[in-house]
Amino acid sequence: MKKPDLNKIKKLAKDFLYGKPHGERRLGDLYEPKTGLYKHREWRGVKDTFYYFNNIWLYNYGMMVADIMKYGGLITFAKGVWRYRWVGQSYLPVMHWFDRGLEGVRGEALRASAWHYRAMVNQTIDQFMRMFKADQNIGGSKDLYDRTIAHDETVWGGVFYPYRDQLDDIPLQMIPYFVTCHVNNHTVLNYIDATQALGLPGDPCPMCQAECGLMILDDEPDYYPAFITTNEACDASVATSVIQDWMINKPLYAMPQPMQFDDPLVQEHCAKEIEGAFRFIEEQMGVEFHWSELVKHLEEQNELQRFEWEKWDVAANTPYYPITGTAQALYRIYQSQRGNRKIWHDTDKRVRKILEKCVEQKIETFPMTRHRVIAWSCAPLYYSHWCTWAYNCWGLNCVINMDSLMFDMTIRTDNYDDMLLDMARYHEWAPMRRMAVGGMQHIFELWENMEKFHCDMVMMYDQLQCKGMQGVHGLFEDEFRARDIHAIWMPHSLPDKRTVSRAEIRQIINDYMFTVMQEEPLDPSLLEFDDGEGW
Amino acid sequence: MKKALKVLGKIAAIGAAVYAALFAVFYFDLDGKALFKFVEPTLVKHYDNMPRRDPMSRPYGDKPTNE
Repeated sequence: MKKPDLNKIKKLAKDFLYGKPHGERRLGDLYEPKTGLYKHREWRGVKDTFYYFNNIWLYNYGMMVADIMKYGGLITFAKGVWRYRWVGQSYLPVMHWFDRGLEGVRGEALRASAWHYRAMVNQTIDQFMRMFKADQNIGGSKDLYDRTIAHDETVWGGVFYPYRDQLDDIPLQMIPYFVTCHVNNHTVLNYIDATQALGLPGDPCPMCQAECGLMILDDEPDYYPAFITTNEACDASVATSVIQDWMINKPLYAMPQPMQFDDPLVQEHCAKEIEGAFRFIEEQMGVEFHWSELVKHLEEQNELQRFEWEKWDVAANTPYYPITGTAQALYRIYQSQRGNRKIWHDTDKRVRKILEKCVEQKIETFPMTRHRVIAWSCAPLYYSHWCTWAYNCWGLNCVINMDSLMFDMTIRTDNYDDMLLDMARYHEWAPMRRMAVGGMQHIFELWENMEKFHCDMVMMYDQLQCKGMQGVHGLFEDEFRARDIHAIWMPHSLPDKRTVSRAEIRQIINDYMFTVMQEEPLDPSLLEFDDGEGW
Repeated sequence: MKKALKVLGKIAAIGAAVYAALFAVFYFDLDGKALFKFVEPTLVKHYDNMPRRDPMSRPYGDKPTNE
């Protein structure tokens, strides 16, 4: 009889206890072809597998039920699921969104990143439950309807702070459109197609198309008596507002974000528009301006900002930052747009503990980092988790991204005039505006941030239907050459995976890493796989 | 006493079995497979066949409903 190979047994036992080391994981072998479903979920060693099972998978399923009960109950939720495609189709597979964003992640990074996801799920449920509770399409409360105002997803929630004790503000598209694309990219295609089926052209930003499609397919809850809209930082979206205005047919206040916001006169104009919004809210909703409420929320938001600066400091100057590129980007943009909410503070407290532990104990959270990457411009919503793939496959660690860096300010609260100017500035620095189409000097803030975060590579998002960023493509090319910077252009179509698939994006990165960087993958099983039908 | 221990034992055994079953669902991604192969297609069929209002039928320029 053949003697058992002791070394093999030891190795198997070690892999079972601690998980396979990075180079041996073969994460690509876990996928079922096409769907991206797992043959089985990843074995991360006993400790991390059971942490994932107990504290992420079970905990989050449980907390989702708890949130639904807390924010309105199962019956309201079921009515919403039955009525609206975007909730039923998108949000049920939410744990797969966690899986994709946390693949290959271990230890403290697993813990800190998962808390970010938990906070986003909580805020998603909070918002859609408020929509459903007030929704006149499914028999919601008229009283809540009268106390809920809607706004474009790029109108900062802070505009409503003076009234938060009297009403709630729920963005029109953040939950029916933006978050769905990350969780389940199938849903949004219905809305894009609905817009193009009318004969509207297919080449403007697909975000605008999807937001129109929600209206065309009558898939927006009727939960508000008035709404505040904006140009969504991109003037293609003005057309969205026109269609929304037509189809919603309710009192509307337009508060566009100016392009050239560095001009002090423009800032004054923007401040006046915010005051106009205050008047609109008061007239339409019958509420009063509460200064103390505004100050309270602004100061709490400032606290969130100060912690974000601490996080950036650790990310920039140490290898101990425990948050994945995906969690960093999504949490930050979600938090800063939604405005001050209790869950962000609870999450930051938890993350602070983990962050401090990593720094004190010098825990290298992404030990296989070969390149520190900064991601710039607007990201593909259907592949926001490319960062996890790029780290697992190539050791590309996406340390920071443009969306995180846009709202880089606290707001003065000691007097009304300064506060209003600061609020105007915050509003002007909207997603897709400050560093994407906000003027050359802001678009090129890339260089100083690259230096600040000690990055040696740029992942340059190339939204093929964004006319603003397409216009500066050549200028970036020139600068990359002149500065001798390794930059990978990642073409995508924001929410629409049909234009550039995830597999094509991976191929572009693979080609660059093989041919230009002359490197070999850490996990070759991740080089090529088909997840075209996946969520 | 013995009876109480027996009941506790039974509860522990049922708890352990449920925990093991949930772990199997988690590990083999049975939740993902069920949602992808059964729940999503069923819901999509429902949404595709749902009667919907046509907001385009409202003439452009109508006065807002709240005024």
